Amino acid sequence: MKTTKQTKHIKRTLNYLFLCLVALVALAPILWMISASLKSPNEILRYPPTIIPEDIKWENYQAVFELQPFTQQFINSVVIMALVAVLTILMSVPAGYALARVKPVASGAIFLVLLSAMFIPPEATIIPLFQYAAKLGWVDTHYPLVVFTAVLVTAPIATFVMRQAFLTLPAEFEEAATIDGSSRLRTMLQIYFPLARPSLASVVVLACWYSWNQFLEPLIYLRSPEKLTVPVALTHHEDPLAGPLWGVQMAATTLSIIPVLLVFFFAQRHVVSGLTAGGLKS
Amino acid sequence: MTTETVTSSVRRRPPGRDTGRSPFGYALLAPQMIGFTAVGAVAIIWVIWLSFHHVNALAGTQEFVGLDNYGRILTDPSMITVLPNTFFFVCVLSIAGTVAALLLALLLNQSLRGITVFRSIIFIPALVTMVAWALVWSFIVQPEGLLDALLGSVGIDGLPWLRGGWLTLVIFAVIQLTKNIGINVVILLGALQSVPQELLEAGRIDGAGPPRLIRSVVLPQISPAILMVFMLTVVGSFKVFEIILLLTEGGPGVQSSVLSFEVYKQGFLLNDIGYASALAVLLFVLILLLTAVIWQARKRVVFHEDD
Repeated sequence: MKTTKQTKHIKRTLNYLFLCLVALVALAPILWMISASLKSPNEILRYPPTIIPEDIKWENYQAVFELQPFTQQFINSVVIMALVAVLTILMSVPAGYALARVKPVASGAIFLVLLSAMFIPPEATIIPLFQYAAKLGWVDTHYPLVVFTAVLVTAPIATFVMRQAFLTLPAEFEEAATIDGSSRLRTMLQIYFPLARPSLASVVVLACWYSWNQFLEPLIYLRSPEKLTVPVALTHHEDPLAGPLWGVQMAATTLSIIPVLLVFFFAQRHVVSGLTAGGLKS
Repeated sequence: MTTETVTSSVRRRPPGRDTGRSPFGYALLAPQMIGFTAVGAVAIIWVIWLSFHHVNALAGTQEFVGLDNYGRILTDPSMITVLPNTFFFVCVLSIAGTVAALLLALLLNQSLRGITVFRSIIFIPALVTMVAWALVWSFIVQPEGLLDALLGSVGIDGLPWLRGGWLTLVIFAVIQLTKNIGINVVILLGALQSVPQELLEAGRIDGAGPPRLIRSVVLPQISPAILMVFMLTVVGSFKVFEIILLLTEGGPGVQSSVLSFEVYKQGFLLNDIGYASALAVLLFVLILLLTAVIWQARKRVVFHEDD
């Protein structure tokens, strides 16, 4: 009896040890970034490096705003993100409903076409899309980042998620509503849409996450510093002669992560379901 | 998918209720489909068209050259490095990524005190933008950085992390893999938690130990989720882009470059749009072929596939 208890104890300790190791690998880069952002330029290049900054310096955070129009860039990212989310919802919720509940002729084929969009790599379409944007006069504007992203990437995935959501809702609601004299449009708007709210939250998170993380597209479409989005701006904290200003760069990176982490802690359930929505319920 | 459409048309509805079903459905689908056709379909046709042309970006002229750009892929000496690199990432990231996510999901599926904290922590790197993650890692692997210091303390002297060769590819794979593994872990955790308890109970009564239970009950039950994660990582593994651009720009030479980075380099840094388009088409075809092969193979490995 005693030995089984002992092996159980050892097993649990091993489990915790391993979990701590995994947690360390996941968190160490982020903690190291925060630590570096608080170091002086002198201390940051010292070898062997200090884990905790000797004296905490906030100058790096000041420099982030002095070297780049960081506030403006941050607002750009947020506005683009919000517009992508809105456009994604406007396109994907009706489309998902149509594919799940209305099922017009050839809806199966349409679904397959949209599904295939999930496998188009952005690198494969970036060249024609850039020429497209140039023809429309959209270079150095935020339009391609909103329109192309929503139409090509986030809305098709969201349609897939919303279709799944509407499929799991009982069809009897529709029959009951029709008998009560509700029109198709009203049934959709007043009965099914409110019931699909949790999936709507997932879709919003998914669209926001994708837009917020985009790098290749803004890198190519945008030129002027005040138009840049946060991920591209992060790569611009460099001294042309001395190379990367590590402290400032790490401070900017820290600032870019904080809002996302805050959202995660306050809406963890929605964030997790949103980010995994593309893969769930295949 | 096809079965669904069949059943929906077979299922009889009272005649009056079906009128206007298709127009209503198409009206709902219209914004999505018009947008998708106007951007996605046009872009794909456009990139294929460009790949048959020699484009002079400065003069604004385009000259039809047939398959020349594709011929160049075969003779381009840098492709001898770039294509194997691309396949290295596809194999390592998809297989190691799926196996690691599965092991972590099994580890995190135990009922231990504080397990939810660990589940959240593993998810945190997924929230950080890839650019931020790559920047932090470039700071960690720089000469005399954190990694050198850690290895130095156990007697290993500074390794040439970013000077090409397999070491650079491996460190890139580690950076990419740790970034998004949390998402795959959560997908697999969800599947693990929906494995029916009765099945596990029945297995235990039949005398199966934990390893046997995992092999014979759990893995078959969650195989659709494993396939999904595998497909996601295969598609994602072609997109090792930010790390390469920010850490080595593909260098030295093209030693650490992959196909997606070459598309960017040829198209936007060297302005060779025709050749870049041919590379982009190759990238797209490779992804389509791989996912088609995996999708076809699913019937052999995935348990209880309904459709």
